[in-house]
Amino acid sequence: MSDWIRDNRRDTLSREHNKRSTSLSRWSNCRKRGIDGSLRAKRDTDGSDMVNNGHADGSYRKSHNRHASFTTPESTGPVSSFIRQADWGSQVEDDEMRRDVHRDVQRYRRRILGPEVTQRERKTSSGSSGSCDSREGETMETDEAVLLRRQKQINYGKNTLAYDRYISEVPKHMRQPGVHPKTPNKFRKYSRRSWDQQIKLWKVKLHAWDPPAKNAQDKGLNNIEELGLDDVMEVELDFPTLSDSKDTTATNSLSLEGEDCLGTPVKIQKTEPTAEPACYS
Amino acid sequence: MENSSDEYRIQSFDLDTQMLLKTALKDPSSVNLDKVSNIIVDQSLKDPVFSKEAGRICYTIVQVHNAETKQGNGNVFRRNLLNRLQQEFKDREETRGRSLQEWVCYVTFICNIFDYLKVNNMPMVALVHPVYDCLMRLAQPDALMNEEEVDCLVLQLHRIGEQLEKVNSQRMDELFFLLRDGFLLQEGLTSMSRLLLLEILEFRAGGWLLSSTAHKYYYSEIAD
Repeated sequence: MSDWIRDNRRDTLSREHNKRSTSLSRWSNCRKRGIDGSLRAKRDTDGSDMVNNGHADGSYRKSHNRHASFTTPESTGPVSSFIRQADWGSQVEDDEMRRDVHRDVQRYRRRILGPEVTQRERKTSSGSSGSCDSREGETMETDEAVLLRRQKQINYGKNTLAYDRYISEVPKHMRQPGVHPKTPNKFRKYSRRSWDQQIKLWKVKLHAWDPPAKNAQDKGLNNIEELGLDDVMEVELDFPTLSDSKDTTATNSLSLEGEDCLGTPVKIQKTEPTAEPACYS
Repeated sequence: MENSSDEYRIQSFDLDTQMLLKTALKDPSSVNLDKVSNIIVDQSLKDPVFSKEAGRICYTIVQVHNAETKQGNGNVFRRNLLNRLQQEFKDREETRGRSLQEWVCYVTFICNIFDYLKVNNMPMVALVHPVYDCLMRLAQPDALMNEEEVDCLVLQLHRIGEQLEKVNSQRMDELFFLLRDGFLLQEGLTSMSRLLLLEILEFRAGGWLLSSTAHKYYYSEIAD
């Protein structure tokens, strides 16, 4: 009996327990179910072990499945795969955003289509590009990956001092289409390119509400980093008042191609270096 | 009422830190939240009492911060807190080897965070497996030999066992296999440890409730 304890202790402490083939005998040698010890072969005291090296292969698969199905209860999109290796902070944020987006989808449907259509009919439309007109019933974007990507872009825009200032200075009923920035509608079907362009123009317009430069450096450091503020400002003068941005796939859109899930937008090529001095004036 | 006991816990810090934490609780976006989260983690690892309270402090900071920024996504504090926790998680075996108290504090802290910080009122998925990993570690034979670790394990299960089981019952089953084995088979357990194990076994078996007779059995003597 004491052998058994000592054995186990060594076993637990040793990180490379799988070198010894103890996994079967470990507990079962003292149990009534010991004869078919394979029942209790599983052992994962250590999360990182689970990932790094297979134990008895069966147990590895088992725990892996469990995790995956647990992480994404409602759908198994491409999201779950990158969540696996992200840090905890990002995992929780992604999780939160996914739940928010699902909630938004429900709300949006209720609002646009009326209550009778709220039943899930996802998968009917794929996330490809195409029509960008306004009959929401057919053209609603339901691809989770696309919605999440778009939400992320919108969040970056909203997570700015400029946005806070804008919404507090201009009440909703005063906002005029074409004059004031309007958050792109993430539920509409747009091509990737069109969407990215809309986001960019929206951010550019928001910069009109940037706080004075001094202030921005004190308080808004985080926001500025995330948005890559000066990058966007360089193009500010290019598009002073563009009302309908949809078809404007102009000069800079290509450079945003790789932005999708990353924290900071890719550098925008300087198309007009003369605009630069205007940044902090 | 929350604030008063938060402030009570804060007394153990030096004055500057107290000020920083107080400000963080009232106006989180005006302070360096990276620093705040590091202070909270560091203190939790040192101070067993604080590690039980820290979840609530963190909860308050996150709530106020969210209200201030009007959206949860830019939550620097939570991100940094969780990533710190993750770092410590990676080193947990060394921590345990170095200081049992620190290890127990860590488990208490991560469970407390799991208990208090929620995403849309649901437990944070990212923490489920780590928390289970910690509890499974406490249920290993060598850990069961330390009353301190058994006590911690049982306490955490009392607090968050039910929530944990809801999000992943299979791992709870596995954990309880270990606990039964430990209770039945392991030599050298103190009678206190056995008592604690038996109680938690009954507690879960009763649907995370102790029947009144069981309660009487386990707690009446302490009351005397």
